[in-house]
Amino acid sequence: MIQVENLQHTFLIGKKGKEKQVPVLKGVNFEVKKGEIVAIVGKSGSGKSTLLQILAGFMKSEQGSIKVNGKEAANFTEVESAAFRLQHFGFIFQNFQLMPGLTASENIELPLKLQGIKKAMRAEKVKILMDKVGLAEVADHYPNELSGGQQQRVSIARALITNPPILLADEPTGSLDSETEQDILLLIQSLNREFGLTFVIITHDEEVATIAHRHFRMCDGELVKEEA
Amino acid sequence: MLFKDQLDFVTQHIKKNKLRVFMTVLAATMGCAFLIVLASVGFGLQDSIRNEILSDENITKIQVFGNDQFTEEQIHEIKSIEHVKTVLETITVNASGHSFFEDRDTLSDVYVANMQDFEQVNGKLAKGKYPTKPNEIVVGYHFAQTLINDAERKIIEEKSKKAEAEGTFYNGSEEGYKDSLIGKEIELSLMPHTDNAEEGEKIKYTVVGVMKKPSYDWMVNKSIYMDTEQKPMLTTNLATTGNVKEDDMFHSEFNIFADSVENVKPILDKLKDDGYNVYSVTEQLDQMNVFFLVLKIGLIFVGTIAVLIASIGIFNTMTMAVTERTREIGVLKAIGASPKIIQRLFLMESTFIGIIGTLIAVVISYIISFVANAALPVILEAATGEEAFSKNNITFSLIPWQLVIIAAAISISVAMISGYRPARKATKIDVIQALRQEL
Repeated sequence: MIQVENLQHTFLIGKKGKEKQVPVLKGVNFEVKKGEIVAIVGKSGSGKSTLLQILAGFMKSEQGSIKVNGKEAANFTEVESAAFRLQHFGFIFQNFQLMPGLTASENIELPLKLQGIKKAMRAEKVKILMDKVGLAEVADHYPNELSGGQQQRVSIARALITNPPILLADEPTGSLDSETEQDILLLIQSLNREFGLTFVIITHDEEVATIAHRHFRMCDGELVKEEA
Repeated sequence: MLFKDQLDFVTQHIKKNKLRVFMTVLAATMGCAFLIVLASVGFGLQDSIRNEILSDENITKIQVFGNDQFTEEQIHEIKSIEHVKTVLETITVNASGHSFFEDRDTLSDVYVANMQDFEQVNGKLAKGKYPTKPNEIVVGYHFAQTLINDAERKIIEEKSKKAEAEGTFYNGSEEGYKDSLIGKEIELSLMPHTDNAEEGEKIKYTVVGVMKKPSYDWMVNKSIYMDTEQKPMLTTNLATTGNVKEDDMFHSEFNIFADSVENVKPILDKLKDDGYNVYSVTEQLDQMNVFFLVLKIGLIFVGTIAVLIASIGIFNTMTMAVTERTREIGVLKAIGASPKIIQRLFLMESTFIGIIGTLIAVVISYIISFVANAALPVILEAATGEEAFSKNNITFSLIPWQLVIIAAAISISVAMISGYRPARKATKIDVIQALRQEL
């Protein structure tokens, strides 16, 4: 489903004219199969977030290839990349990234609005999904009226609403307490089992990695270890 | 993204920043209203002067210069031009008509014309009918008023002296013959303008019609009009006064009349092409229109500066909006919003400010225009003591739909241009940086 080959990236750090080159990705190779949960574990500054951002198309790599469903995504323009994201990826962020001025249901339907889906159809899809992720009671609540766990569920529902084949999660439990973390991990597992969704999870938390079918360890810009 | 959803998105954000958007709309309103009201002065003055020219009763008249008399053939040729109502030959008698009625008398000009053509040009009379029989005449609207006897002459003299002492003028309107002259018989003798001529014999005429009141208050019409059939009789009468050559007795003037104001210009152009030396008062309109076009462009230009100043407010508001919503824009981009959609959302917001500002400005401008037209004549009359301001019906401000369209186009375009740069900035926002922003 996703094939990453020889992905390299360098950051320029420091004052203009006196920049220092810091390599963050040093030829990363990995593959994600359909229906898999893959965790990329690493410490802060190991390059795992950069890997996710390049994978998502938020930034371009200097070198290497990213194939998603056989399509080369590394050389997309900004417009192509946005359209590709809308169709193929769902995002789960550490700090949820919900729109504060929109209710839970409005946040969830946002990707459908971007796809140009009509209101009636949107409402139906949102209702079904909210029931599934246990948010039916808080549909009209604003993000600041929700608990951390509920906000992350809204974020997951928003990622799922367009039925994307791949979900990219950046520290999905980073802002949650351990009890809520377990709830969210169980939800991810059940979604994977029930709908065969593919998850790529970036985390520093070994506990999170336990739900993955495979996990890679990121260290100084290299994927150094693949564990069973 | 559906257009309705885009609108929802924009209105949602406007509601969130009501006060700021209100202040920006206010600035846009003031700029646009200033533009409309300023330019409306140009439109108003043009309208006043245009109406003044058009109220001239001779607006459809095309004057023919030169002493050449038209031949029958030429008159026929001109009459055949499309939209020519008639060609009127007016013969001025080179003598003053001294009219006598009871113990009253007055002096007036005497004109001879074909009464059928004359009726076509002058239309309905104030009273009576046009002459159909020999010795019938039509008199000017003020003819009866100027028929005075010696006693009234003295009263007028006294009133005039009194008025002069007060710095005003008395026109004798309270004296004169008050009853209707229709059907009454007057005696007319002619007093040639040439030296050593004597007053001719009295001829009896019956007044059958009174001309309409002249279009201007200051105009006095006490003339006598009769049919061309009377010309031989007048010639004979004038011959008895002595020292008047036949060639000097009458003076002919040819005027061509169009059926409406709009058709004056094409007829005028055709006649000029045919070599006639002609003039119409509508030519003044053309010159005036050029002058006012330049004036209006100038006023609109000055007004546009106010709109440009207001646009700084729109630019600031939109820049603030983009900065405040950096994280939201980042999220939108992350979940797949294309840069085009993001740019459009912000452009729509600035356009919305421009449209609302323009709509309010149009309403306010019409109110200001109405109040100005109602109040300014009163204020100016009170300040200067000049009655002309209220009497002449001057339009100080006029807002035609064309001005509304021009002002709206300028204001909305400027609003869109002001929002363009912030909108572009929104599309350039880095997703990673935006998502890192604190809530």
